[in-house]
Amino acid sequence: MKLFLFTIGFAIAISATAFPTSAAPKPLLQSGDRIAFVGNTLIERARLYGHIESALQLAAGESVENLVFRNLGWSADSVFGDSRSYFGAPQEGRDRLDKNISEVKPNVVFLCYGTGEAMSVEQGWTDENAASKTSGAGLNESLTLFIDGYQKLIDRVRNSAGADLREMVLVSPPPLENINSFLPDQSMNNENLARFRDAIRALAKKNDARFVDLFAALGGDDFDGAMAESPLTDNGLHFTEDGYQVLARELVKGLGYEESALTGTQPEAMQAFRDAIIEKNRLFFHRWRPANETYLFLFRKHEQGNNAKEIPMFDPLIAAQEKRIAEARKLVFSGKTKN
Amino acid sequence: MNRIFLFLAVSALISTDAISQNGLRDIPDTDPNAQLKAFSVREGASINLFASEPVVSNPVHMNWDSRGRLWVVSSPLYPHIQPGEEENDRVVILEDTTGDGVADKHTVFADNLHIPTAVLPGDGGVYVANSIEVVFLKDTDGDDVADERQVILSGFGTEDTHHLVHTFRWGPEGMFWMNQSIYIHTHLETPYGVRRLLGGGMWHYRPETRRAEVFMKGLVNPWGHAFDDWGQSFLTDGAGGEGINFVFPRSVFKTSPGASRVLSGLNPGQPKHCGLEALTGRHVPDELQGTLAAPDFRGHRINLFQLTDNGSAYTSSQIADLVSSKHRAFRPIDIKMGPDGALYIADWYNPIIQHGEVDFRDPRRDKKHGRIWRITFDDRDLVEKPNLAEAGNEEVVAALHSPEGWTRQLATVEMRNRDRNEMAEALSKVEAPEGADSDLAALRNLWAGQALNRLDEKAVTDLFESKNHKARAAALRAIYYRAEDSGNALALATRAASDPHPQVRLWGVSVLAQLNSPDTVKTALQALEGVEVDEFLDFVIWSICREHADRWTGLTDQGNPFTNVRQLLFAVRALNQPIAVPIILTALRNGELKSDQEIADVADWISKVGTPAHLNEVFQFALAENVSAAHKRIVLEALRNAGRLRKLQPAGDKTRLTRFLQSDDPAVFASAAGLAGLWKLESARAGLKEAFLNAPENEGRARAALEGLVALGGPPSAALFDSIAKSNTTDFLTRSLAVIGRTRMNPVPGAQLALELLPDAPDGKDPHGIFAAFLATKQGPGALAAALKDKTLPSLIALTGMQQASSAATKPQRLVNALQKAGDLKPMKTALTDVEMEAMMNRIANEGDPHKGESIYRRASLQCIVCHAIGGAGGIIGPDMVSIGSSAPVDYLINSLLQPSVKIKEGYHTTLVTLKDGSAFAGAIAREDDNEIVIRDAVGNENRIPKSEIASNNISPVSLMPPGLTAQLREDEFVDLVRFLSELGKDGDFKTPPNRFIRQWQALQPHERTRDDIGHYGEKIFAEDFDGYAWIPIYSNVSGGLPVDETPDVVGRGKNRYAVAQAYVNVAKAGSLKIKLAGKLADLTLFHGETEIELPENGNEVEIELPVKESGRQKLTVAGLKSWGLDKFSLELLDDAGTSQLVELKDF
Repeated sequence: MKLFLFTIGFAIAISATAFPTSAAPKPLLQSGDRIAFVGNTLIERARLYGHIESALQLAAGESVENLVFRNLGWSADSVFGDSRSYFGAPQEGRDRLDKNISEVKPNVVFLCYGTGEAMSVEQGWTDENAASKTSGAGLNESLTLFIDGYQKLIDRVRNSAGADLREMVLVSPPPLENINSFLPDQSMNNENLARFRDAIRALAKKNDARFVDLFAALGGDDFDGAMAESPLTDNGLHFTEDGYQVLARELVKGLGYEESALTGTQPEAMQAFRDAIIEKNRLFFHRWRPANETYLFLFRKHEQGNNAKEIPMFDPLIAAQEKRIAEARKLVFSGKTKN
Repeated sequence: MNRIFLFLAVSALISTDAISQNGLRDIPDTDPNAQLKAFSVREGASINLFASEPVVSNPVHMNWDSRGRLWVVSSPLYPHIQPGEEENDRVVILEDTTGDGVADKHTVFADNLHIPTAVLPGDGGVYVANSIEVVFLKDTDGDDVADERQVILSGFGTEDTHHLVHTFRWGPEGMFWMNQSIYIHTHLETPYGVRRLLGGGMWHYRPETRRAEVFMKGLVNPWGHAFDDWGQSFLTDGAGGEGINFVFPRSVFKTSPGASRVLSGLNPGQPKHCGLEALTGRHVPDELQGTLAAPDFRGHRINLFQLTDNGSAYTSSQIADLVSSKHRAFRPIDIKMGPDGALYIADWYNPIIQHGEVDFRDPRRDKKHGRIWRITFDDRDLVEKPNLAEAGNEEVVAALHSPEGWTRQLATVEMRNRDRNEMAEALSKVEAPEGADSDLAALRNLWAGQALNRLDEKAVTDLFESKNHKARAAALRAIYYRAEDSGNALALATRAASDPHPQVRLWGVSVLAQLNSPDTVKTALQALEGVEVDEFLDFVIWSICREHADRWTGLTDQGNPFTNVRQLLFAVRALNQPIAVPIILTALRNGELKSDQEIADVADWISKVGTPAHLNEVFQFALAENVSAAHKRIVLEALRNAGRLRKLQPAGDKTRLTRFLQSDDPAVFASAAGLAGLWKLESARAGLKEAFLNAPENEGRARAALEGLVALGGPPSAALFDSIAKSNTTDFLTRSLAVIGRTRMNPVPGAQLALELLPDAPDGKDPHGIFAAFLATKQGPGALAAALKDKTLPSLIALTGMQQASSAATKPQRLVNALQKAGDLKPMKTALTDVEMEAMMNRIANEGDPHKGESIYRRASLQCIVCHAIGGAGGIIGPDMVSIGSSAPVDYLINSLLQPSVKIKEGYHTTLVTLKDGSAFAGAIAREDDNEIVIRDAVGNENRIPKSEIASNNISPVSLMPPGLTAQLREDEFVDLVRFLSELGKDGDFKTPPNRFIRQWQALQPHERTRDDIGHYGEKIFAEDFDGYAWIPIYSNVSGGLPVDETPDVVGRGKNRYAVAQAYVNVAKAGSLKIKLAGKLADLTLFHGETEIELPENGNEVEIELPVKESGRQKLTVAGLKSWGLDKFSLELLDDAGTSQLVELKDF
């Protein structure tokens, strides 16, 4: 307990030092923060590489300890929670997210939506009953629907996170790339995305949330349809491992952290740090999104529901892995000092 | 919970290899030689072991690379990763470097996967299904170990690990095809937008364009996909049981969520399959060329099917198995042709299949073994293995015309590994070999261009001019994927919609559905004209009318936008909306629409979407002079549906209905009686009462009248039911109906009446459905339970009630308890202790007689066959039992009989729909649309329920199968029954043979005419269409014979008693029908239509060729004289290239 108090005190002292003037924004992360990522494919796949988490850890600084990251991304998710629903309507997906959020109890939530929605204008991007048709209409209708859904998403995340929630970050979708002639030209989609970005920025302001403009930071405003020279994605929209490193750097910059916080690390230590994060993410995935849910928790649980007892057994494994992450993090910072 | 504890406790005491736990005593010998000895292969074929553990364990899926190496994914992790377990499932490369048919080299390419369910080498690496994602693994330094891993697609569902994305295959056009199963919900972001697929279905994906699209939807577990020579797709289903499924764009099959219409497979009642391959090439015997091989992993065998063209689709006929095994761990789940022309089979090797019914951690799961088998044909030379990876470009292109499908496919894959410009050039240089079918050669070149992502549009239009309809259809399929970008697609599709061949039309409409042109629906509807429109063609046209609704519905204000009013009727019915109603009703009035089908279509559609004024118009149509009884029936039933489902009545004077209550036609009367009640027509009451009281003479009419009286309701109905129910001088049937009527009005007084009557129930049965009347409403069970307090009932009738109540989806526990108490019933013995289970299993193994068991299964009082068919013979309410013995452990069978609700087969969960008025319907969802849901109940009735009336709709944890069905059996009978079930599907007498035996018959009930007239006319009278005859369904046994002692005794002269059975066969073309009759011929008489066929006087079987003058339905009648030793007979359709088909009993 003594140690805990000391850490808090230390952290407060440090942040006071780092940001001496009261006008500068407070840094996003504080020791002991639980951070949830909620979003679509961009978030879901980030778990495989660990770049975003490692960058945030470095940016927050050595004194900001015991950060816990939980990736709740789901491929092609919409602001209505389409992908999170199994056998029911998107409402089931929203209920699931509520449950996940209330279990994670985050202090900080990152939200990243809009890529799939902007790309599916005129095709439709949700099965939400009242919204399905509008989602297949024109850009303006789609965007209004998206922002309306996004506002409700923010409200429900706030509600399920409860009193511990301190910060919310809305991350704009990154721009799409043209990388070869087999793939469709993404010019029109980027024009749509710029409109989505603007609307998300306004939404962030309205909700007193932070906003990171990845679209601008990764060159979306300057997109001219040319092929990317060194693409960050492998299909125009999904980031490669190296692409995530670039994206992570822009994210921490967009949050007001110094880019220099990310430099000077030793590659082996960084690799070990990221590997530890990736393994934690793997374990957590089996915990929050286990396979066989039909049998474990849903309508066939009378057959195999007894096996659901195994799922919480991942908790101690995840906790042990968090310790390994902390050790690896120490080595990263100590190696950095040596440099 | 106890069971699991027990397993853990026991397994802790013994070594893991000594598998002798509860239910584990028949774990088969794991020695590959034991498996080899247990095979029976088709004549002229041989089987050898290609690879086994530890190189492969639990192989799930396999595919070849262009170097002739076999890539296999295996998953000991299945069914679920344990906390602390590594993700260490593997991709292994197997290679036969010496050409002796045995893999002598293996390389572990990757060992860090999580339940990989598919593998597909190509594009310089290998695609692997890895639960939520498809990854591309690549070896960059030549050591055959993956060192790069890229996620290609993500967002596949994992709700059930044997449904994960699977069945990867390269199509002939160089696309990557993949399937997913029933519980999977997939959400992909693609460069073209978000794509979602909820439930089962098939995707196609082009790796270079990264375009993923849904091709078809539905099926339970479609783990097999094969292309025929012309590139048409066929799927098998691991849990669907309809054999080969012909699939095409936008086709929808059963279990697709929200589907309002589904298609069927080509072999209803077939075993379930995993994997599918078309047999091609010089090593395959001529008679098997093009045959589809489908592993039946439950039955430890590989079935073979042959396809024949039939309209827009195909007929599929089963021929003798390729291989079958007595070894219970032989689980063939994938089959592929190999580079040497032989067939390779992935044997998952496991005594236990899947994990829905058997515990994830059941120690009987085999995690160590796995086999790849190889089948060769003795009289055929092997094919020299092509070395495609090292061949020159022109050699690779030449290989596209190889007789071996393997070589053609891998040449396509190899082309994609190389420089596309060079390959395109090679493609333009190489000519097809001499003597090749020029259409096929052109198609293969076209596909090769597609594989390079270069569609040659001129080649498409040239191919479309072919005389061969398969080539025309293939040309359309080639352009389908990029129809929006093609300048020719609309013109081709427009011509195709009026093509002479229905299959070309099907593809033409499929291409239209891809296009943005405003007239797609008008063009598509032309496909209805001038050919016989079968289920499949009808489906695509129906589908485009809906998908492109925005393009035509607005035009109907100005008149019919289509070529004729029948087309308009088709379109508005497809949409199920009140569009263009005045045009349709005018056509009804002026006789433009006049066939039975057209009138039924109009009436049905108006009943669903019409206003009271519209309903009045069809009512007036039925009231007109000279309307046939059939048309009256159709219209009244439609009005009834409108009243029941939509609470709508025709405008105008309702009393016009009373004239229909005079009708002699039972259906017209029944509909009118129901309507009289719905419409509260007091003027109809007297007529209804009269019909009700006449129940013993005409039960059908009385039941119809009962419906009307209940709906009319009020004190007069209550008083009538009360007085009849209490009347000692009235017969039991009429009294039962009165009790039912009163109960339907109000179950509280109904319960009092029921308790007075039920003690008189004959044999403790409830033949008229009194209990069902209570169970059908929310208040009924409680009312009956309350009335039973402190009362007693004879135990037999109490047992009947308890069985029914126990299987009700509403779980009326109070009523069950009350019946138990009133009948002084002991609690049903449902759970066996471990010791009892072991003793029971011993008895079954040592004493059980499966032949006796089969007759118990078929026993009328037990009703097994009424719900559970075996190989399609029997009811469809529960799962088909065709191979239950080879897939389910004996303890599972015992428990399922005793406690049906504990484990429920996927697809057979009961849905419980409760309506706002408190009534409840339980059963399977047969289909649904925006407005209604159709529930098929435990006796096979379909109930249409308006969605607006539904209060709740839940999947119920209760099986439709009542518990305690076996309570009436003696223990030895129970032992025989389980033994029979445990033999089903195993090699021997109880494996459904592939022969096309007639399995569904109708048997003649005794009739006085036969006794009186047989002396004058002989057996011929059995074959005549005589209105008074009554027929009951009866099924052949597993081996195909009809046991005559189970048929009713039809009385002949003196002591002669006959078994008379009738069946129908559809013959597609005039010519002949070849059949085989087996049984004691001296006692058999056969009729084709009403013509007696001469049979040999002696002998036990005969093959006969019946002349068929006109195609269509043929009636076959067999009369067996059972008094002199005849025990059974069978009738089998012989090979005729699929022109004849059995007619299903429900269609008789």
